[in-house]
Amino acid sequence: MAEFVQLLFNGLVAGSIFGIAALGISLVYSVLKLVNFAAGDFLTLGAFTAFYFATSTKLPFIVAVLLSMLLGVVISLILEFIIWRKLRKTGAGMLALFLVATGVAFVLRQAIALIFGSNSQKFDIDQIKTYEFLGAQIAQAQLVVLSCASVAITIIALFIKKSTIGKNMRAYSDNPSLASVSGINVDRVIIATWIISGAFGALAGIFQGTVQGQFTSGMGLDLLLSILAAVVLGTIGDAYGALIGGFVLGVVMELSTWDALLGGIPSTYKPVVAFAVLVIVLLFKPEGIFGVKARKI
Amino acid sequence: MNAFMQPGFWVFILTMSGIYGIFTLGLQIQYGVGGILNFGHVGMMALSSYTMAILIITHGVNFWIAAAIGVAVAALGGAFLGLTTLRLRGDYFAIVSIAFSEIVRYVIYNSDGLTGGVQGSLAIPVIGENYPSYTDTWESIMNRSREILTPIFGEIVDREFVMAIIVWTTLAILLLFVSRIERTSWARVLRATREDDEVPAALGKNVFRFRLQAVIIGSVIGGIAGIFWGLESTLLSPDDFLTLVTFYGWMILILGGATKVKGLPIAAIFFGILYGGSRFFTFFPFSMLDASERAYVRIMIIGAVLIILMMSRPQGIFGKRQEMVLE
Repeated sequence: MAEFVQLLFNGLVAGSIFGIAALGISLVYSVLKLVNFAAGDFLTLGAFTAFYFATSTKLPFIVAVLLSMLLGVVISLILEFIIWRKLRKTGAGMLALFLVATGVAFVLRQAIALIFGSNSQKFDIDQIKTYEFLGAQIAQAQLVVLSCASVAITIIALFIKKSTIGKNMRAYSDNPSLASVSGINVDRVIIATWIISGAFGALAGIFQGTVQGQFTSGMGLDLLLSILAAVVLGTIGDAYGALIGGFVLGVVMELSTWDALLGGIPSTYKPVVAFAVLVIVLLFKPEGIFGVKARKI
Repeated sequence: MNAFMQPGFWVFILTMSGIYGIFTLGLQIQYGVGGILNFGHVGMMALSSYTMAILIITHGVNFWIAAAIGVAVAALGGAFLGLTTLRLRGDYFAIVSIAFSEIVRYVIYNSDGLTGGVQGSLAIPVIGENYPSYTDTWESIMNRSREILTPIFGEIVDREFVMAIIVWTTLAILLLFVSRIERTSWARVLRATREDDEVPAALGKNVFRFRLQAVIIGSVIGGIAGIFWGLESTLLSPDDFLTLVTFYGWMILILGGATKVKGLPIAAIFFGILYGGSRFFTFFPFSMLDASERAYVRIMIIGAVLIILMMSRPQGIFGKRQEMVLE
């Protein structure tokens, strides 16, 4: 039982991080029809810049976090202006978007490694302090991440649901041409999308760095596949679906290592579980959990 | 800079280009003809090379049989990938295919007993036990070829030289084979499915089956590249099969013009020079960096080339723009 509670809790923590990261990818896809392969590296960037601001400038950690979110936004917007906008104008196809996103990921990841070095880093936070809950050991870092992530998730979900720009975003992703003729400012929608994706990508990276303890420049890439699985699981382009997909995967991946389940699988195979789940879901419901049936070939 | 002057370096670049060229040819038939975005192609290379190495080392299977089984396993991998996910929308397939190759790599990475894990220790002989290396038969073939080729080409003939000749001969044969295939009615149907599923379906063509066949043929070619990869590197590590490699293939494909095979060899050589040559970026400003930092810069350059290429000339150097439009 204690093990179950432990794994469930770990799963919720992992799931909240997947969810936030997946939401950014899904939002970008819904508005821009772009699968952002560079999203994983934005997570890494967030963790490293927060680390840099916190350790070298002696700023309070919360300020460092906000600065690194800001940097994520700035870089996302720079890329929008120098790359994505131009590609949209030339009517680039799916392949061009995929490959450019990959190119961006290469450049970003290597730039991080070049600037911050290949050594692993860790935040200056108490990694040892734990609380006991129903026999499970809950780390303080996990608890902080889970509560902050819950707040962040609530804020984004409400923003997309209630704010004008959030409504515009959903309208635009449903039907771009109808949205533009009804007077929605498309550029503003796109910029808002990048702001959310950049800021919360960095935040997810900081959360992951906190939970992991140590992180390297490959952190985001290692997570990207599980995050993409969450995106597809929750139906690509569906922001709420991505959140739920993230939690489902986080919990399933952790529980798959549970001894009571036929001994559980070795924990190194967790990403494989994410994709096994994904493939199984896609086989029976190709449009994702929340998707509407697409036309069949 | 001296390395640039040595013929051995250029022969090495030629061999690597050839292997990447074969690898890319597998993508060419999938995307250039069928419009299928397979981003997990490197998985086929991993499957064939590891299958071959494991069969030879731990089961003592004959080299040729092991290589053939390796390619067959790559074909099975392609069939599995296609059967499970090819009915999905193009972007879903792209994501799931990346996952496929990453899972292959993950399993290799974590199954130490079977694959030697991250150290690639599969090919390292254990003291006291008489394991053969998986390249033994191949090396004896190379030695014999060397004896035959030396009188013709002179002193330049070494292992690498023979390898380059064999790889490029294979690439030439496969290029001929693929360009033949691309003139058949099979390829015409496949090309039609690239633009629109419904017209070929209305004409009674099973779109899914055509696409599956394209993925399997591409996987066989990727598997052949994997065999050469294993033979060239003589030591396998899961890190040889990062998703990065698939994108190297895509870069070559786009560079050469995705819909035609004729640009592919030149694009492969161009990539080989960019990839192999950039390790000799020892001049300013790169001289400020150490070797591992230069490796980062190399991948950054490749990423930047990919971005610039897709933004300015998505049809490649030799391709036609009209044929790239898939929307």
